[in-house]
Parts: sequence; structure tokens; C-alpha cells
Amino acid sequence: MSTLPNSRTTRFWADRPLAYKGVVVIALPLAILIGALASLYLASNAEAEAEDDVRRAFAIQRDIYQVRAMLAEAAAGVGDYALTREDRFLEPYERMENQLSPTLQRLDVAIEDDRVQAGFQDLLRVVEQKREGLRETIALAQSPQPSTQTEIEESLLASKMTLDAVREEIDNIQRLEAIVLDERRALVDDVRSRFFALTAVSGIVGLLGSLMAVYLFSTGIVRRVSKLEQNAEMLARGERLTELPEEADEIGRLSQRLVGASALLRKREDDLRASEERFRLVIERVRDYGIFTLDTGGIVTSWNLGAERIKGWQAEEILGQHFSQFYPDDTRDYLPDQMLERARAEGAAEDEGWRVRKDGSVFWANVVITALRNEAGELQGFAKVTRDMTERRRSEDALRLAREDAVAASLAKSEFLSRTSHELRTPLNAILGFGQLLEIDLEDFSQPHQEAVERITRAGRHLLSLINDLLDISSIEAGGAELEYEEVDVAAMLEEVHDLAEPIVSSAGLSFEMALPEAGAKVVADRRRMTQVILNLVGNAAKYNVEGSFVRLGASLDGDGAATFFVEDDGPGIDPANASRLFTAFDRLGQHKRDKTEGTGLGLALSKGLVESMGGQIGYSPRKPGSRFWFTLSSQPTENSRPKADQES
Amino acid sequence: MSQQLIATEEILSRRILAIDDEEANVALLRNLLQREGYEDVHCLTDSTKALEAYIDLEPDLVLLDLMMPEVDGFQLLEAFSRHDAADEFRPVLVLTADTTIQARRKALALGAKDFVAKPFDVIEVGLRISNLLETRLLYERLRAAPGV
Repeated sequence: MSTLPNSRTTRFWADRPLAYKGVVVIALPLAILIGALASLYLASNAEAEAEDDVRRAFAIQRDIYQVRAMLAEAAAGVGDYALTREDRFLEPYERMENQLSPTLQRLDVAIEDDRVQAGFQDLLRVVEQKREGLRETIALAQSPQPSTQTEIEESLLASKMTLDAVREEIDNIQRLEAIVLDERRALVDDVRSRFFALTAVSGIVGLLGSLMAVYLFSTGIVRRVSKLEQNAEMLARGERLTELPEEADEIGRLSQRLVGASALLRKREDDLRASEERFRLVIERVRDYGIFTLDTGGIVTSWNLGAERIKGWQAEEILGQHFSQFYPDDTRDYLPDQMLERARAEGAAEDEGWRVRKDGSVFWANVVITALRNEAGELQGFAKVTRDMTERRRSEDALRLAREDAVAASLAKSEFLSRTSHELRTPLNAILGFGQLLEIDLEDFSQPHQEAVERITRAGRHLLSLINDLLDISSIEAGGAELEYEEVDVAAMLEEVHDLAEPIVSSAGLSFEMALPEAGAKVVADRRRMTQVILNLVGNAAKYNVEGSFVRLGASLDGDGAATFFVEDDGPGIDPANASRLFTAFDRLGQHKRDKTEGTGLGLALSKGLVESMGGQIGYSPRKPGSRFWFTLSSQPTENSRPKADQES
Repeated sequence: MSQQLIATEEILSRRILAIDDEEANVALLRNLLQREGYEDVHCLTDSTKALEAYIDLEPDLVLLDLMMPEVDGFQLLEAFSRHDAADEFRPVLVLTADTTIQARRKALALGAKDFVAKPFDVIEVGLRISNLLETRLLYERLRAAPGV
């Protein structure tokens, strides 16, 4: 923090973790308290020790006085005994002999000081001399040979001198002891004053330390926390935080994170703004779509190039105007509000209809209005995308009309085919019916009439098969052939056709051979039409193979799931020059003129139409001798094949 | 042929009404029926008079063309079934040049009992006519029998 001096101490303190700081702030007064308590304890200890010393000194004085008193009393008693020889004067001496030793032992223990101890040792010596002198005096007094008065006096005098020496020694000890006591007292006073000084100093230091800690806490933590709070508020307002705090404690790190977050936020904001700007530029330049925004009331608030191009207004002309003027008179009163209401309720509203340009011309528009909401879901306005669909509508109209025409034409063609069929069959019914009635009575007629009747019925039947084939081809070409697809077992199917065609082939004097594929192979086809094609090919082979000996029907399976059906013969074959005209309607390649064989000339054309409408191919290849006709069918449903709806034949 | 049940004379005596707008076809039918031996045959080329004839004549069998001007065969089929009592069995054999599957289905759905495409085989049509009449006679006999 800039408010703190950036000294090393401050920096060191600021870098400590908060727990450390807390410990320091709490530990400082605690240490002072403990220090004060300890010095108090030490002082009281020293005082108690000094008091003990004094008390001991007094006990020593008392004991010394006692020694002196006992010796003095014993000496007086012994003096009196020597003079009187009465035993009662020996009582103090005996008391002294009993009590002196314990008293002296007590003193020996009590005296600690070396100098006093030295004096005490001197005292012990003179006391012993004194006791010796007293014992001598008593012995003299008790001697059976009466001692001279002089000897006793001399002994008493010596004892008196010894007593004086004792007194001197005791005085000396007392003096020394007094000196020691004074020294002790001085030492106690010294210790006490030192402790007082120490307590005072530590108290002052502790107080200052506490104040410093509080100062550091308030500056280093409270102030920084309040700064942190300010930063957080700035961040919340979206302002930029630039100062990067260097402190390494928790607050410092938190502050650093806030600054980091601020930078991130700012970067995102910048990115968003840049993206918005790019988006705005893109929208502005879109030419094919009119993209503009409305406020919640429908007033235009932005306008792009596409809108300008489609609607004709420049941005400055239309901004601030209500968007209802894009609508023609008949819808202007209700549709704009309706669209906004729908967009508000459903999120978006789409519409297609006529809109008005600035110059009053109308165009067909596809319009999507989207409600714009903020994160709280409050409506901010609308985005409107308009496309000019006039061209598409025109082409759609044209397409629809064309489709309607085509459907009508197809219907007309079907109707025509149906009518033609009916109109051709109706007279044929009478012709063939009467012909048949005449045939029943054929024996009643003469030979030429019989032939005439036969010609009529044969020609009638030929006409009928022509009509049937022609209508078939026409309906296939019109796309009206109703094919009913199903899965057809190839081998079984060929067996069936073989049974059907057997009479035709054998009546032509030919053998009918089969070349069946393996069982189980299937194709998807209209069974009836497929049979029709095979019968036609077999019929042709039987009809035109006048020189050969066989007709062969068979099928082979291709690798890709298709089957190739073929009909072969060993007849005269087809002239290669005519091969390309084989599948043309009514082109009988001159066969009918040459061989007088019956036929409509439509069989192969019809077969080709049928096979191709079932998704297959049909073709011819020469054999030596003979011909080979083939066609293919797929085992997979083709795009126009559908499953057979029912079993109607 | 179940000749044991119904005598041929009884079948041939039944009334047949043929309706076809084409004169030649009506003539063919009349010719065919006469050859078979039917005695009570009525023919109509004007379909507008067909319902009236149906009600008046109460035919046992109707031979009906479908594609006719003004009133077509489908309309007549509907009219006939509206007119007949529910328990009546009066067969209609449709003879038409309309060979489409739709026409066949529609006619049968509207109550036609049989359907033959033109040009038809005269022998086949003769057999179908006698079969239908026989069925009608059996039906009548069953209805008249006591306890049935």
C-alpha cells in the first residue's frame, strides 16, 4: 500500500501471513505481562531471602550473647566456689557445660560468612581456654592438699583474662556479623531497584510494542481491507483496477486477484465490444436481407444496407419512424401490432405477405421478428429480418401453374385413354358378340359365308389385342401404368410361365427348354406385367422359329443382385440391319408380309415399356443360329416401386 | 349347372331387363337371350327411363351398362338398391367397356353381383345370367320356406 513507507521492516511485516500478525499482536502484551510477573516473583524471592538473612543474624547474636552469659555466670560461680567450697556455686558451671556445646554447634551451622566463621573459630578456641581455666580452678579448689590462696587467685585472674578474650572475640564476631548484615541489606536493595528498573523498562517497551502492533494492524490490515473494499466496489461498477499490490499476505493476494479479475473482465468486455462491432459491420453490409431493429414500441433504431436496398429508405430517413409504414393500407392497422405481440409472446413471429417500399411499390416479403431480451428477461426491442421473396413467389407461381397444367394434361390424357378404350371396345363388343353367335351356328352357313364369319371374328380379335396393347403402351408412356411391386421368386415364376406357354411352343413343333437359376433368387417386380413380357418373348420365339427345333427360357443371376431373363431360339435370327428397329411400335420388319404371321407389331415395344418402367433394361443379341432376347430386373426396390398394396389382380 | 335344384324352364321364364345406350349391344343381348330360350326379356337404350322400368317390371335380373349419357350405371345401381327392400336379392350383372379396376370395384361395391368386361364372350355371359337367376330363385325359395 502506498500509504505505508516502503521500508524493509514494513514490507517484511506486510508480507507476513495474517495468522502471524495476529499472533504477534496478541503475544506482545502477553509477553510483557509474563515478564512483569516474573520480575515480581524474583523480587519477592530476593526480599524473602534478605529477611531470612536478617532473622538468622539476630539468632546468631542471641546465641552469642547466651554463650557469653553462660561463660560469665559459670566464671562467677567457679570464683565463688573456689572461695567458699560450697557446691551450690558450681550450678552455673554445670549448666554451662551442658548447654554450651549445642549452642556452639547451632552457631557453627548458622554462620555462613567466611570472615565471621574465622572469628567464630577464634571464639571457639578462647571458649575452650576459658572452660579449661575453669576446670583447673575447680580442680585446685577441690585438691586435698590445700592450695595456696595465691594459686587460686592466680587461676581466677587467668580465668578473668580469658573471659575478657572471649568477650573481645564475641564483640569481634558481632561486629563482623553486623557488617555482613549491612552487606546483605545493600544487596537486597540493589536487587530490588534493578528489578524495578527492569519492570519499568519492559513495561514501557511492551506498551510501545503493543502500540506499534496496533498501529501496524490498523494501517497494514484495516486500511488495506478498506482499500480492498473500495476496489471490490470499483470492480462491481466495472471500473478498471490498475494498482497491483505487492504484499504477499492473504489480503495482498486477494487484492492481486481482484486486479487480475478486473483485467480479465476488461479483456472480455473489449472482446465483446470488438465482436459486437464486427457483427454490426457484418449486419450493416448484408445486402440480400433487410436487417434492422425496433424499440419496444416499434420505432426503427437501426437500418442496414439490405433494408435500404429492399425498402428504399436511407437510414437517416427511417430511423425514429414507426415500422408500420412498411405495411400496405389493408394490413397497416392491425398486422404490425399483431406481429410485435406474437414476437413478444412466442419469442419470434414469422410472416409472409405484401410490404410497401418507399416509392409505394409493393413486394412479397418473408419477415421474421425476434424479441430481444436482456438477461433478466426484460424486453429490449425487436430484431426484424426481411427478405424480398417477389422473385421466388413469381417462380413458385409459375411452377405451381406448370404443375397444375401438367396434372391437368395427365388427367386429360388418362381420361382420353379411358374414353378411347371405352369407345373402341363398345362397337367391338357387338362385332365380336354377333360374330361369336354366328360361329355357334357355323354349320348352318355355306362355305363362303363360314369363311366370312371366321374372318370377321379373327379380325375383331386382332383389333381387340391391338387396342389392348396400344392402350397399355399409351398408359405406360403417360406414366399411368399401375405397377404393383412384390418380391417374385425367379425359378418359381419361370416354372409358371413355362406351364402357360407350353401349349404355344409345342403347337409350333418346338421343344421348350428351361435354364433355371439356383432356387431362392428373387426380384422386385409387378408379377402380372413380368409374366406378360416373358410370354410375349416366348410367343415371338415360337412364332418366328419355323426352321429351328427349340425355344429356351431361363435366367441368370448377376453379382449385383439383379437377374437377367432370356429367351433363346435356333430360328433364322434377325437381320443385323433391322436389329435397331426391333423395339419400335408397329415396325414388324416386314415379317407379316413375308410369313403371314399374326401380330400387332406392338409386343416388343410394350415389353420394352414395361421392363423400363420396372427399372430394368431389355435387349437383343444374335446367336448362331438364332436369337437371344433378354431383360434385367433388380432384386432391390427401385425408386418408383412400392410394396404391393393388396392382392388384387 | 345345378339343374337338380331349379328346372331350366323356371329359369327361362324369369324376367330380364337389359340397359345399354348402344343399340347394337342391346340387339346382341336380345339375340343372345332369345337363343338361350328366355321368354321375358325387356331392353332399354334410354337410361333415364331405367328406374321407372325397374320399378314397373320388377325384373329378376338386370344387365347393366355403366357408361351411359345423362344417367350412368353407377347412379342406377344406387337407385336400385335404394328402391329394393333390404332382404331382396335382385342380381345386377354389369357389362361394360370400362375395364379399369376402379370401375370394377365401384360397381361391385354399389351392389352389382357380377361384372364382365366388353367385348365379352357370349357363352360366358349366358352362363353367368343363368347362374344369377338360379341363385335368385333359390333365395326366393328359401325365403318362402316355413320356419326359415
